[in-house]
This record gives sequence, structure tokens and C-alpha cells, in this order.
Amino acid sequence: MAEPASYARRSFVYRELAACGARFGGVAGAAVALDFGEPGTERQSLARLGLCDLSPLPRVGFKGPAALDWLRARRVLGLDRDNRADMQRGGALAARLAPTEALILGNLTGRGNLCGRLETALDADPEPGCYKVLRRDGSFHFLLGGMHAAETMATLCGVDLRARAFPAGSIAQTSVARMSMIVIAVSLGEIPAFHLLGDSASAAYAWGVLVDAMTGFDGKPVGLDAVRDALGNGAGPG
Amino acid sequence: MKILHCPLNGPRNISEFVCGGEVVEMPDPGAATDADWSDYVFGHENARGTVREWWFHVPTAYWFIAERDTGTDEILRTYPASEIFGRVPP
Repeated sequence: MAEPASYARRSFVYRELAACGARFGGVAGAAVALDFGEPGTERQSLARLGLCDLSPLPRVGFKGPAALDWLRARRVLGLDRDNRADMQRGGALAARLAPTEALILGNLTGRGNLCGRLETALDADPEPGCYKVLRRDGSFHFLLGGMHAAETMATLCGVDLRARAFPAGSIAQTSVARMSMIVIAVSLGEIPAFHLLGDSASAAYAWGVLVDAMTGFDGKPVGLDAVRDALGNGAGPG
Repeated sequence: MKILHCPLNGPRNISEFVCGGEVVEMPDPGAATDADWSDYVFGHENARGTVREWWFHVPTAYWFIAERDTGTDEILRTYPASEIFGRVPP
């Protein structure tokens, strides 16, 4: 098992994960919780209700009046409606948050490197009116998945996140447990899930609140391997 | 919970918003007197009827404009600030 402290990049909540029995491994140069000691059953746990920490994985934001045009010129698909997320060819997810802001979540399976390529391109050739937002440092990234995910969120959030009102690809930027969060609905194969992003300074609080909210539905923390396993059985966005 | 319609995010609980006060024209910085600035910063019309106000959606840091009836506290209309001020150039 990898020791999180031996990696330059680790999760904002790696101590909380370790306390839950997480086993870490290196992914994209960072220590990621791959499982919690039950790799064979976590896929089933995720199907019911599971919370996965994705904070160490690549993600980046772009902001400014020229941001969306700059991304479109680099073949980022979608970005045509506010609060809508679109799957990219390489498995990344591009979310339009406003007419002047977008968020890119990297592929969870580890394939592709859209975030890195976009960051490198903007660093090498700065575009007036397009600015990088360091989401990997400034925002935590959790994934709450399973058949009870929407019910769990209903205890924390005033927006109707049930699938019929909030299908995959929908985005709500709203208050969750009194924190400002970005909620993105996706499908992990057959499993409905929400990407949750918020201020990294509140990561430990948010993790605790979500774990507590899951107890009413027998939810558990799950590792990245369970999410990858779910993605491997379907064509859902990552 | 009272619901306010954000032009960017749709209907949201009013607790997600902060009111930024009436929309008033800023005086010319080169010509304004102290009294003009004082009135701009501290003065409020506070009239009964329809007022145009700045509102802020906290989770998205998005400012927009709402028209509100101060007598009934009913939100009559919300719209992006660009409807009044135009698009900010790059």
C-alpha cells in the first residue's frame, strides 16, 4: 500500500480516508484511495450508495469572456448551454458553468490527459480573456453514487436532484449542507451518480457531512477501483 | 422557503442569495461633490412600489438584477445585468 504522505499530491481528506481504512495507490502522480479493504464488494456498495473521493485527480477550470471560444477551438465538445455537462471523446467531462466559465473533469479511468493538454496550451500561448482556474487545488471533488444518491442529497440540498428532474448531464450550482457546491449528474454505467465540487477548505467538513447523511441509507465510502469497475461495465461519462 | 428565480441557475431558495441594494447610477468621479458621493454610497430612495435591485447568487458568485415590489415583497422579474449595462468587453 502506498503511503499518502510520500506523494507530492494527496487528497484534502486523506487522513479521514485513512481513518476509514482506505488503501492508497498512485494515480496521475497523486495518492488516491483505491479501496477500503473490500475491493470485491465495493462495486455492490456503490450500486446502493457510495461516496468516493476524487480530489487528487486532474481537473481544471477556465474563466473569462474568451474562455468558451478558446476551449471550442481546442475541440472541447458541448459548452452550448449553461449548467450542462458533456462527455468528451476521451472520457473527460466538460461542464459549462456560465457564459464565461467552464470546468473540465479528467477521465476517471486514467486514460487521456485533456486537463493537462489544455493547461499546457494556455500556459504556452496565453489568450487574452481566458484565465485558468486551479480547481485541482481550490476545489474538493467527491462522487456520490448509487440508487439512493438522490435521496441522500435531498437531505442536504433544496434542489430536486431526482433523475426525472435532473437527468445525467445536468448541473446545479447551489447550497449543499450550507456550503456552495457544483453538483453534476452522471451515469456510471447503470449507476446514477453526482460529482460534487466545493471549496477545498471545507473538504473535511463536507466529507463528514456526506458520510453522516449516507448512514440513513446504509451508504459507505468506496475507492476509485469501484468507480472504475462501474465505468468499465458501461459507457457512462467519467 | 421563498423562491427566487436566478437568470443563470433557475429557481433557488432565497437563502442562496444576498441583496446588493438598489441599482443607481454612479456619479462622475471627476465632477462629483462630496454630497453626491455621500448620497450615492449611503442614500436610499426607500420608496414604496417597484424598485430595481442588485442580487447576488452566492454559490455561483453571479450578480443579476431583480425588480421587486417593496410593498408586497414580490419579485416581479429577474434578468442579467447585461440587459442594462451591455456585455463587458474582453
